[in-house]
Amino acid sequence: MTDALLFREVTKRYGRRAAPALDACSFRVPTGAVCGLVGPNGAGKTTAFSVVSGFLLADSGEVSILGEPGFSPARLKGRLGVLPQDAELPDRHTPPELLVHLGRLQGLSAAEARSESERVLTLVRLEDRIDSAIATLSHGMRRRVAVASALVGRPELVLLDEPLAGLDPVQAHSLRDALAALRGQTTLVVSSHNLAELERICDWVVMLDHGRCVRQGPLSEVTGQRGVVVWELAGDPPLSALTEHLPHHSWRRDGTHWVQEAPAGADLDAASVVVMRLLVEAGVGVRGVQRGVSLETSFLEGRD
Amino acid sequence: MTELRDIGLIASFEVRRAVRTWRALALIVLYVVATAGAAYVFTQIIGAAEQSLASTLGVPATDTPGTMLTELKANREFRGALSQAVGGTDQLDALLQWPLLAIFHLWFSFLLVPFFAASASAESIALDVRTRALRFEALRTGRLEIVLGRFLGQLLLTGLAAAASIGGVWTVGMLYMVGHTPLGLATGLVWFAVRAWFFSIPFVGIGVACSQLTASPAWARVLAISMTAGSWVALGIARWLETRGDGWAIVADLLIQILPQGWLMTMWAPGLDWMVAALVCSALGLVAVGLGYARFAGRDL
Repeated sequence: MTDALLFREVTKRYGRRAAPALDACSFRVPTGAVCGLVGPNGAGKTTAFSVVSGFLLADSGEVSILGEPGFSPARLKGRLGVLPQDAELPDRHTPPELLVHLGRLQGLSAAEARSESERVLTLVRLEDRIDSAIATLSHGMRRRVAVASALVGRPELVLLDEPLAGLDPVQAHSLRDALAALRGQTTLVVSSHNLAELERICDWVVMLDHGRCVRQGPLSEVTGQRGVVVWELAGDPPLSALTEHLPHHSWRRDGTHWVQEAPAGADLDAASVVVMRLLVEAGVGVRGVQRGVSLETSFLEGRD
Repeated sequence: MTELRDIGLIASFEVRRAVRTWRALALIVLYVVATAGAAYVFTQIIGAAEQSLASTLGVPATDTPGTMLTELKANREFRGALSQAVGGTDQLDALLQWPLLAIFHLWFSFLLVPFFAASASAESIALDVRTRALRFEALRTGRLEIVLGRFLGQLLLTGLAAAASIGGVWTVGMLYMVGHTPLGLATGLVWFAVRAWFFSIPFVGIGVACSQLTASPAWARVLAISMTAGSWVALGIARWLETRGDGWAIVADLLIQILPQGWLMTMWAPGLDWMVAALVCSALGLVAVGLGYARFAGRDL
């Protein structure tokens, strides 16, 4: 699989004496992936997005974007869509006026840009606010206009920095559905503090901390979906029986949950049947089962 | 071609945005009021000069300015003052074919336009860098296209202000002064407004250049106005250096060539000679924008 985005040893400092926002950071995002870029405040997520978008110039290292060496508005015209985290929209215009302008700058004709504007505004459910000046829209609506701007012209690579920030639950739900619908149409990189939200739409994860990539890969690998089962039980499990029947599996308590770690290549489906039978025989109720740990747990483990 | 298209798109968006911004409209209205007000004061000065002349000549005076323009234009003191302002008696004679009010408007525009143009255009980029709104365009086109588009947009806005001022001055001229026809005054004002617009180009360039240096619109404006004022001071220094001998005269000559005000007298030239100054002013404007771009091209947005 080719990479839509590739960082090689990228370093960026805001000032000579400042700690690096990106510190020899290397990661990749495969073409077609829906990637979650996760990390705590100051991890370097927004800086990474800004370097890709050409807003910030890296001090060293290489960035490959859709096969192009670094950001170039001429070579990437219309191929890259970005939602900057804290950029204010030019607010004197209506959403269609702004989106048509941006679409035309991407190389679309006036008619194509108008059609694209209608499409993306429908996608973010703002089709009924096309006559309102952006200045009169709520924060959430402006956020959706900004998301729409990143989707104009169906770019091959879309970077969304905190797209759900400031949205109410209904808006967040509808936008998450809209983003999930992009799977297979474009390579999507989404940064968010809300790991539960990200987990629902991502299939690839890049974890940043202190400007470095601490973990990356398919979501299933990062969260251990191939070797870990998390059980939420009404009581303690029959550990001796479990160890007897599944001798290569290990068990550990994690708060209110029990984590079953299987050896590489184990048949987790078959093993789960055995565990369920032993739990029932021991009279231990099962409240929930999850393949792999949550993205949040995985991230916290990665930081340790 | 793509670059030119992008420059045009950005310029057009800049104009539409500015027209919807009260601040830009307020500046244009201020410019119109200032030029119309100055024109009114000028008509009163002409009226006073005519009354004084009538008293000297022993003829009856009238209250309407412009009734003794023929005599006034022939008056030696009046001609002396005017010829100093426009760069010589030959140029003055050629210019006096135009309505006096139009000539005054051009002279006043030469004073006002630099500050207006530099101040208004100083916000064009700095504000969007501060709010990061510039990122939406910077993702889609080159920084040079953005800068040139904003520069062109500001030139169009300055042209809009110059055009609007024609209406104000024309109205004042028709209400408070006689001695010119409506069409004659309008033609003179339009023809001279074009010259004033060309003279604004270097100062729009200075404004856009300053706007590229900082993310603070206020600081960019202070810088642009200071540089504009500084260019007048530099002209004064150059004129002084001219009188100090050969070596200094060369320095002075060089300085005068690169200052827009150094071409001011050529701007008054009759016929099409003023177009040389217009071309030089256009080039100076682009050089100013280019100097700002040298910093802007390599900075974080």
